[in-house]
Amino acid sequence: MITEEDLQKTNISFNYTIAPVKNIICDLSAIIGNFCEEAIGSFYPRKVSKKANIVITELLNNALENCNDDDSKIGLKLHVDEGNLIVRVVNPVVKEQYENVRAHVDRINSVDNIRTLLRETILERRKDRLKGGLGLIRLVAENKFKLSVEYKKPFLIVESQYVLGGEN
Amino acid sequence: MDGGTSVFTSVAKIDGKKMILSFSGVIRVDNPYKHLESYVNDLDEEIRKTVVENIELDFRELNFCNSNGFYVIMDLIEIIYDSKDVPVIVNRLKDDDWQQETLPILLNIDEPEINDRTSFKEFTEL
Repeated sequence: MITEEDLQKTNISFNYTIAPVKNIICDLSAIIGNFCEEAIGSFYPRKVSKKANIVITELLNNALENCNDDDSKIGLKLHVDEGNLIVRVVNPVVKEQYENVRAHVDRINSVDNIRTLLRETILERRKDRLKGGLGLIRLVAENKFKLSVEYKKPFLIVESQYVLGGEN
Repeated sequence: MDGGTSVFTSVAKIDGKKMILSFSGVIRVDNPYKHLESYVNDLDEEIRKTVVENIELDFRELNFCNSNGFYVIMDLIEIIYDSKDVPVIVNRLKDDDWQQETLPILLNIDEPEINDRTSFKEFTEL
């Protein structure tokens, strides 16, 4: 008999590549996020599958908003096993965009109190109802992901990792 | 062509001297305020006319909120707190990251006058 404990040792990987980006006129993050939440939720606790939906939504929307080449591609890889939930999103950007994201992630990773940063950023951006700017902070403050970025010209790669444990 | 779903419902009910404002569904549209502006304004007008002694905010059925949805939640919460100086109970799920970590920020719970009036009731998702 397969137990809940056995289910949570399942290896699941999804790999999406969509091109050209200009053809993405649907709510792609919702489609992929909801599918992955349902699929992962068949094996792992809801807490894990919900995290997958949130990280897919925030990273994919960021990538679509900051894509500088509509004829290029966007990619998303997800892997979950008993140790980690990892989501990696790839999209084309210019060097300056990468440097901005890198600075943002460095700030998130080095701040003493991430909750304070989330609070201050929400309050500050709400004044002008500014779009964006919250997603990556939220992934760390709320969902306890670790973020990393790299640049393989012309692609920005943002990776988000959550170490599983104690979700039951 | 469009895909995915984005249905968010907020309902205000009066039960004796208690007002219950519930939130359900998902918020993942780009600019939810654009769609909810009239509801926000109507709620503000209605709640000021209503006599209540306590308020319950129920988030248990709000399954998903993307970061673009934060401001509209804050707008609705702000109307409640500004219009009535009464105790507020917040119903939330204990295993939901956004309701545990981010919702208190949207409530502005770090402000002492908000904190003093607010208590949380934790529920387990069925």
